[in-house]
Amino acid sequence: MSEVTGGHARDGFASPGLEDAARPRERLLARAFVRLADTLVEEFDVVDFLQSLSSDSVEILGAEAAGVMLADPRGGLRLLASSEERMRILELFEIQGAQGPCLDAFGSGQTVQANTAEGRSRWPEFAQQAAAAGFGAMCAVPLQVRKNVIGALNLFRGTDELFSDDDLEIAQAMAGVAAIALIQERAIRERTLVSEQLEAALHSRIVIEQAKGMLAEYLVTSVDEAFILLRRYARDNNQKLTSVAIGVVDRQISSQALARPQP
Amino acid sequence: MSDEGRRARIVAAITGPGNARSVGALMHRLCRLAVDEMALSGCAVVLMSGTVPLGALASIGRHAATITDLQFELGEGPCLQACASGLPVLMPDLATDTARWPAFSPAAVAAGVRAEFSVPLSVGPSGIGTLDLCRAEPGMLSDHHLADVLVAADIARDAVLSLQEPAANADFAAMLDVVGSDRLVVHQATGMIAAQLNDTTMNALARLRAAAFESGRSIYEIAQDVVARRVGFDE
Repeated sequence: MSEVTGGHARDGFASPGLEDAARPRERLLARAFVRLADTLVEEFDVVDFLQSLSSDSVEILGAEAAGVMLADPRGGLRLLASSEERMRILELFEIQGAQGPCLDAFGSGQTVQANTAEGRSRWPEFAQQAAAAGFGAMCAVPLQVRKNVIGALNLFRGTDELFSDDDLEIAQAMAGVAAIALIQERAIRERTLVSEQLEAALHSRIVIEQAKGMLAEYLVTSVDEAFILLRRYARDNNQKLTSVAIGVVDRQISSQALARPQP
Repeated sequence: MSDEGRRARIVAAITGPGNARSVGALMHRLCRLAVDEMALSGCAVVLMSGTVPLGALASIGRHAATITDLQFELGEGPCLQACASGLPVLMPDLATDTARWPAFSPAAVAAGVRAEFSVPLSVGPSGIGTLDLCRAEPGMLSDHHLADVLVAADIARDAVLSLQEPAANADFAAMLDVVGSDRLVVHQATGMIAAQLNDTTMNALARLRAAAFESGRSIYEIAQDVVARRVGFDE
């Protein structure tokens, strides 16, 4: 990605200021990878981690929404995290368990992308809902560890402009990081561990949904707002999102504690 | 095969000709199916309250009673861990992995069990029991069999939950043949109902399933109504 300015190519001696202005994406990307690396050092929460990854990929790739879907050992794909927690968006990812770019990327192990018209002919039902949610171009990149495809990263744009080759390359790099984070190295050799780790990740999402419902009821708020409260409490108290969700569901953590602003 | 396809196949197999008249009989047929299809030396549906065993609802095969009895006697093992964590515990070779349960693993191997797979009857953190499978030979389940086992545990969970909310003229085939029960909104609704009833999420799920069955609507539709606050479960 070389930048050509003022009619003649620069040969690597651009002033730092110019370079920065011309390459905001590279900086965003570098920052995102540093943050991901930091997360990986310590024990991390899988849903929280994948949500950050989704939000980062939205910002870096000029998308409207992104989500990560994982293989359910029972068969099919399940949504694990999304840059947008609004229910309508969650459901748009969710229905791809039956049809859509994610399922195709997962099945083929290949990156899939489509504009609105292509989407309509390939996945009629899904494309209709994507359009209703205000989305245009879409792509899905497989999450794979060596030859094991364990899920897909899905991106939506608000316009019909397809993702460039550079965009897709970056999306693949981010999907690669996500896959490594999800399935530890030793698990690749042991199928047993892959299944256990995928089940644990899916279990996290289920508990978080239960906790969202419980908080929404106790605090008389929406499930969307409940998610924000859960995450804020987890961050303020330096706990994993899933641990907080389990605490709420088991009533070890009082719902009122999440309603109050943290000291 | 999708998990709904798997579920339909297993439900059809256990509710087929000579319809089971009780949940116990139904679970007996589920264990029999697993033993036959996966060449197991034992299969059991065990109920627990926390880590306290309440007993086996069904138990088939020469090793079924052995493994559950050993775990309850020694206070450790795959089914206790699976129930406590809400996550499956897959032990393809008990002889090589003895670190996790120093008492249970050697005892199980001495009794002739080499592999054990324990899947919780749960959704979320608190389980109400496990589906336990064992084999005299070491080795992991195939992906296809593992998928069947996970779906079978979901069916066992739903059957046990139906005991808590017994419907008149229980028609197991209809009660267990529920599609869309794994959508995110169902888990949200379960949490909301648990708060409304001040009860566990498992009992809340039982109520949600019973409401779906009684109204003839899908669990997914009722869940949407609950989250939109069009339907409440307050007494």
